[in-house]
Amino acid sequence: MSEPWTASVNGAPVVADPPDDERLLDTLRWRLGLRGTKEGCRTGDCGACTVLVGGRPTLACLVLTRELEAPEIRTIEGVAHDPTGRAVVAAFSAEDALQCGYCTPGFVMALTGLLADPRGRPSTDRLLAGLQGNLCRCTGYAAIVRAVERAREGGR
Amino acid sequence: MSRTDAAIKLAGAAPYGPDLDAPSMLWGALVLAPVAHARIRSIDLDPARRIPGVIAAGPDEVARLFPKPADPERPVFPVDDVVYRGQPVAAVAAPTRAAARAAARAVRLDLEPLPIVGDLDAVAAEGSAPDPAFTNVHVHARTGDVEGAFAAAPLVVEETYRTAGIAQVAIEPHACLVTPEGGGFHVHTTTQSPFGVRDDLAAVLGLPEPSIRVEGTWVGGGFGGKAAALIEPYAVVLAAVADAPVKLTLTYREEFLLGRSTLPARVRIASAVDGQRIVGRRVELVLDTGASLPGRDFATGYAIGFLVGPYRIPNVELEGWGVRTHKPPFGPHRAPFASQCAFIAESHMDEIARRSGVDPIDLRLDHALREGDTTVLGQPVGPFGLVAALERARERRARWRTPGVDGHGIGVGCGFWSTMTGAGGEAVVRIADDGVTIVEVEREIGSGSVIGGLAAVAARTLGLPVAAVRVEPGDTVTAPYDAGVYGSRTVGALGRAVAEAAESLRATLERRWGAGAGRLTLGVRSGRLVAVRGPDERPVGSLLTPAERAAGGLAATGRHTGRSGSIDERRVVTGAFYAYTDFTAAVQLAEVDVDRATGQVRVVRVAAFHDTGVTVDPAGARAQVEGGVAMGLGTALTEETLWAADGRLLNPGLLDYRIPTQAEVPPIEVDLIEGFAGAGPFGAKGMGEPPIIPTAAAVANAVADATGVRIHELPLTAERVARALMPP
Repeated sequence: MSEPWTASVNGAPVVADPPDDERLLDTLRWRLGLRGTKEGCRTGDCGACTVLVGGRPTLACLVLTRELEAPEIRTIEGVAHDPTGRAVVAAFSAEDALQCGYCTPGFVMALTGLLADPRGRPSTDRLLAGLQGNLCRCTGYAAIVRAVERAREGGR
Repeated sequence: MSRTDAAIKLAGAAPYGPDLDAPSMLWGALVLAPVAHARIRSIDLDPARRIPGVIAAGPDEVARLFPKPADPERPVFPVDDVVYRGQPVAAVAAPTRAAARAAARAVRLDLEPLPIVGDLDAVAAEGSAPDPAFTNVHVHARTGDVEGAFAAAPLVVEETYRTAGIAQVAIEPHACLVTPEGGGFHVHTTTQSPFGVRDDLAAVLGLPEPSIRVEGTWVGGGFGGKAAALIEPYAVVLAAVADAPVKLTLTYREEFLLGRSTLPARVRIASAVDGQRIVGRRVELVLDTGASLPGRDFATGYAIGFLVGPYRIPNVELEGWGVRTHKPPFGPHRAPFASQCAFIAESHMDEIARRSGVDPIDLRLDHALREGDTTVLGQPVGPFGLVAALERARERRARWRTPGVDGHGIGVGCGFWSTMTGAGGEAVVRIADDGVTIVEVEREIGSGSVIGGLAAVAARTLGLPVAAVRVEPGDTVTAPYDAGVYGSRTVGALGRAVAEAAESLRATLERRWGAGAGRLTLGVRSGRLVAVRGPDERPVGSLLTPAERAAGGLAATGRHTGRSGSIDERRVVTGAFYAYTDFTAAVQLAEVDVDRATGQVRVVRVAAFHDTGVTVDPAGARAQVEGGVAMGLGTALTEETLWAADGRLLNPGLLDYRIPTQAEVPPIEVDLIEGFAGAGPFGAKGMGEPPIIPTAAAVANAVADATGVRIHELPLTAERVARALMPP
């Protein structure tokens, strides 16, 4: 028996026993049942699996679960637990900044993490630069840009 | 805010194909051919089967379990020859995904290499007709006196263009879960066409249609890639062998290797020009249709008409060949091959304008098809917003035009699309006190056409707010037949069925009301539906029978029988052409800056002028234009499947196959043009595909305007542009 892996996921303590080569994406989706985090390319190119680890946007497909020691993880299922996440969700909803919705959890998590920059509220350009690793094939990003601007203003 | 699916999607609570799960399901994996053309000597599945918990299936298992396919030309696994690299030759399933992949790697293939036709030039050398042995489809049509027109014309403009293969790149990979059920199968899958998947499965496996129940999931983007069965047959075979639920999800690399999309093409296009009139056009299209089956390629005869463009040209000859190579079969990608054709035809229009000294927009206006015209193939043109769109583009261009700066240019692109595909369908609509319900087999693919468009059609028919209508997902057993969410047909074609059903409900309620003053309408009072007639109101429920109330409401079925245009067969020399139905105009302007040193093209802005007939869902239409333009920018600038001579795809991933990121999509000005009614409900035309059609054309013409150099090949990568700009 290997040592259990412990984490805080969306504020709740979690204990699991993933193999050493399991990706965080698969731990979240198949061990913890949190399938709001989307599986896209599994090669770090599309951003659909973005979650927050210690508040930082992280590609869950590129991280081995066991590499993270007692991490604090936030996924789309827990994004509304804090005001920044709620503002991002409200902004995406208000601007219809989604179509098929498959890239949406990744965008929402990435933007939530970027907005919580401890150095202060980033400019819209900086936020958009931070979202360049998130691909959307439906919207042409136009509505997403509008949502980023709205989220930056607090989601109203 | 208009999308009713925003909340569930933003909560991460909308299940897509890869999210499907069942107790004790097995994970499937495919064994892909490592070469593009080979004779199969043997497939040894035993090394895989020796891994605990693994089951495996190849051609022998298919023959044993499904001995009588209705369509034997499409075997699930190839029996004799592999015909493209990445073709699935066997499949395995195991209790974990990792074990399944290990088992797939353990399968031993004994393949005898055969000669590979890597690209269309190998079987269709420039200047000669393609090798008949590799010709899947040959189409040829002519109208007028083409020889005479060319012989007499003072100016002939003749060019050769090439276009690249494009992948759909839905972010959601293909995925399905198949469960044996009552002697048949429950197929839960991410698809643009549940009935299409059912019918494909019935054909390739030889199963009765009712024994297959196909249920859709939320679809994480389709763009044509999920319009037909792709992985479902493999999962059904595995589920049959295992007698257990099997989940199959493609890796993204597999999406590229065995997905079916647009392939490269070469076009020779020539025009006879007399003064400022185009009097003749000759087109020769050679389209790589990959491993498509002879006679079954739809694209050649459909797309070739787009090489004439939406213009009046009296003397025209069209000839096209779909050639067979060792690539995956050609498949549809948003307006299949139309944006490539528009790039060619519209680049050619600008060359004609340049050489005859006419403004590009004026040249197009002088030749624009209008209602009452007939096309090259003798089809009548219905209400068509091209002239209005071009006039608005001309006004916009005047506002944009900045003093001539080297490397800065503006281009126009035009296109048209046929947005009422012939395929028919039915819809069931139900009404009760608590609202209106559309029972629908089609699931939302993202465009909003199902949850937004169909709901808007029902609401508008009944005079209700959209919020009073909900869409209830059905499957191929519980919901009536519909062809699928493709071809920009959902609102226009399926919407007609919804409108008919909704109107039938309204008429039934009016009849049941009895004698009364005037037309019955509907309204909402305190969240309940009421029937209104003159000054009187009654709860809708009071007009229903107890049985109807118990069944969730009064239901009606509407039908769309499909419509097809007509072709003047006297103009056809050989082959199958496809008639266009609702002519839908699309015009775009692009403004670019070109860095002469690096060849980098930066698109500064795009203005899009689109003929919607009547806009049923304004926010949805705008979103389709923005998304279509962005996808078109990828076609224009970066997207290209790169094939080696041995049939190997060199860029099967998102790092090397580059779709636009946010940084590459400029502001998009959207202008919807109404008043040219289509055959859809209230005059609506489809909006899913037209927005991608003119984008690459407009960008290419802007690049030529900026640099004075015409580039005859898509995409306009920095490398290609830089090479074209190098001094000779």
